Amino acid sequence: MSLFSPAEGWYDKKVSKDEKMWMVIALVLCIMLFVWMIMWHVYGKQNPSNITYRTSTAEFSKLSEAYTKQNMIGVDNGIPVVRPQPNSDVFVMSEMWRWSPVMILQKDQSYKMHISSKDVVHGFSIQPVNMNFQVYPQYDYVLEFKPTEAGEYKVICNEFCGIGHHTMIGKIVVIGNEEDLKLYGYENFKKAPDPLPEKKNEPLTETEMALLGEQVYTLKGCGACHKTDGSSQIAPAWNGLFGKEEEVIENGKKTSVVVDEAYIRESIKNPQQKITVGFENTPMPVFPVTDEEIEQLIAYIKTLKN
Amino acid sequence: MFRTCDITGFKVDLQSEKLIRYNAVFAVISLLLAVTAAILLVFTRYQPVHLLGAEWYYRLVTFHGLNALIFWIIFFEIAGLYFGSTVVLNTRFCAPRLGWIAFALMVAGLVLSNIIILMGKADVMLTSYTPLKAHPLYYLGIILFAVGALLAVILFFGNLMIARREKAYGDTMPLFTYGLTTAAIIAVITLASGALIYIPTFLWSLGLISNIDPAMYKLIWWGLGHSSQQINVAAMVSIWYMVSFLAVGGTSINERVSRTAFVLYILFICLASAHHLLTDPGVSSAWKVWNTSYAMYLAVLASMIHAFAVPSSFESAQRRWGYNKGLFQWLSKAPWGNPAFSSIILAIIGFGFIGGTTGVIFGMEQTNIIVHNTIAIPGHFKGTVVIGTTLTFMGITYYLIPLIFRRKIVGFGWAKWQPWMFFVGIALLSISMIVLGQMGVPRRHWDSTFSGGPFTYNFNPAVDFFWALMMLGGTLAFLSTLVWILIVVISVFFGPKVNGPEDMQLAISPLAPQAKAHKGFEAPGTLVLTIIFLLVFLALFFLNWKWLAATWNVN
Repeated sequence: MSLFSPAEGWYDKKVSKDEKMWMVIALVLCIMLFVWMIMWHVYGKQNPSNITYRTSTAEFSKLSEAYTKQNMIGVDNGIPVVRPQPNSDVFVMSEMWRWSPVMILQKDQSYKMHISSKDVVHGFSIQPVNMNFQVYPQYDYVLEFKPTEAGEYKVICNEFCGIGHHTMIGKIVVIGNEEDLKLYGYENFKKAPDPLPEKKNEPLTETEMALLGEQVYTLKGCGACHKTDGSSQIAPAWNGLFGKEEEVIENGKKTSVVVDEAYIRESIKNPQQKITVGFENTPMPVFPVTDEEIEQLIAYIKTLKN
Repeated sequence: MFRTCDITGFKVDLQSEKLIRYNAVFAVISLLLAVTAAILLVFTRYQPVHLLGAEWYYRLVTFHGLNALIFWIIFFEIAGLYFGSTVVLNTRFCAPRLGWIAFALMVAGLVLSNIIILMGKADVMLTSYTPLKAHPLYYLGIILFAVGALLAVILFFGNLMIARREKAYGDTMPLFTYGLTTAAIIAVITLASGALIYIPTFLWSLGLISNIDPAMYKLIWWGLGHSSQQINVAAMVSIWYMVSFLAVGGTSINERVSRTAFVLYILFICLASAHHLLTDPGVSSAWKVWNTSYAMYLAVLASMIHAFAVPSSFESAQRRWGYNKGLFQWLSKAPWGNPAFSSIILAIIGFGFIGGTTGVIFGMEQTNIIVHNTIAIPGHFKGTVVIGTTLTFMGITYYLIPLIFRRKIVGFGWAKWQPWMFFVGIALLSISMIVLGQMGVPRRHWDSTFSGGPFTYNFNPAVDFFWALMMLGGTLAFLSTLVWILIVVISVFFGPKVNGPEDMQLAISPLAPQAKAHKGFEAPGTLVLTIIFLLVFLALFFLNWKWLAATWNVN
């Protein structure tokens, strides 16, 4: 009858016993689902947080860089490693395409993670426990995690964030005791970071510059794309780069340039000016680095040989 | 200008018929584009083949999403809306010229967006979360399409007005058209959300607006993305009732209940986008819990009411035809040779058991933590939109070919098993994606070996089995869709003409005889089936909460 007007008296027809039964069951189930979510807030141990701060990408970048600089105890594959105190605030930065820093956490201790993004939306997905959260730029999401099992965890990105999305993977290590650090080769990481050398009045030596450059490389996330081991999937590798002749595209035309100080300065300040052939699809964003930091990076690149 | 259908006796407005035909043809074209991309995507994610490069993988995910979820479904729904508001009501099309303008806008939108995507200017996924930015013409294409669709929905209401004024139907609107009306009302809400978000985003891509808040974008975008799925549900359920009538002469055992359930869809979906923000910053738990459920999940209740009302309309009619033995003779003696009927039954099973169960569980605040953005999410909506909506649309097309296109179905033997093959294919695809997602595999991800990253991660080795299963299911579904498209295209363009009732290959059943008044259960078989469904749901429910309880603590 669904194609015609219903038969006379349809509105007053009694609902049959079985249909009535089913509707009652279904309604009870639906109400139970609602109550269940509330009860889980009372008795359950996994509830998304209610704490969010509005921030800006620049502000949060500064905050997380300062945090990492102060707490960095080592480097793992170009990503700084921190070991936060239980119950402390940890600043986790996501950007195309890396998570920073690597965290060493203690089992059964709580950590307040502030998570935000420097560029687009990312997905914070801890594996293998399989917990997934959304990360935005301009929002600082505070999640208080308490790892319940020791082991090595990876943070993968599960929100599409550009062509290098699949390379965005970070690391969290949960230890039960100090011995566990050996499992990850972290036993030699110093407990507290050395304070930065006092600013001298005389200019820094090339070696000091290069060391600072390495720190900039790690903190600003250059290593997400520019590797120093020769692999170059997304961007040119930095080892053996200085002095090399590169094919580039300038104003749509192919030319070649020698990589020198001036070229590096230009490439950081205005990345779209000359694009290296082979990397047209992964354009480099403009990063907030100072002139001083650029000089330090140049010094660092000079030390990287093939 | 009308013709009177010699098979159904309906008065068919020729202008309307033409509009239905053209919209349906573009639906099929969109589906072909969507599944062509889909098979390439399946063989990219299946790591041993890893067919496409990263660039084309993401490009085609965008392309597939837009063509499958937007173009195919909405073109078909517009055809359905025109059918339900003119042919079924014996009435004329209110403004055919505007109908063609709507159609032209939608086609222009489809062409423009697709070209921009294929040119590589819009690798942003269907969701295009800001600050990812596409070429302005991409957003413009979607806006054009949405404006066209909105115009078409307005014309639907115009047709209803004419039918009402000219008293073209009795006192009460037929249930099928009533269901479509709820779909159309939801469509207005949905398309308004779409305008609200795509117009500023378009201006932003032109540089006229400096910042689109990413959380605000996601909230409003899903007002389009999720609510539009409720259009599909309402349209699909309306077709289920229609096929019950066409195939066995069945009718809802209580129309008041069915109609109330449709109204619940409208009243309780408004903030469906909450389901997509459950693990997001910016909104509180109270907001999430309230807006996913409005205290009692009445939109879910609506679907559960239909889950009883639709099968019971089959059962009740079959029993009145004399198939009254035991609990399930009504099912075993059902017209399984009718591909529209088998499509609908399979769509109901898939929608309920795969799409429905996972949808409710994944849409709860806390359990969302273990599935958010994993491949379980597309796995879930393969169960709703593909097995549910797409298979339903495929099924009803077997009636549209003879009745609207006036052609016989070429390869009717193939048509009989096509729904089964499609069901098995998508069920395999969907279930394996859900399992993969529960093991943490992300969606929209080119390389699950993380090549080029600073670290790597190996998923549970069991994933290999489910990847293979997914590849197999995807291939089956792709092939059966091709079979369907071939049947439709060959029949419509080259099939023999239908000259009268004797050319109908699918039976149109007369109304089932009136029942003798009786007390007790009207559809005991259906009650048993729905209880089985309930038990499956509860099993999956507790399993997911157990998995959640095993994760780290977080608050």
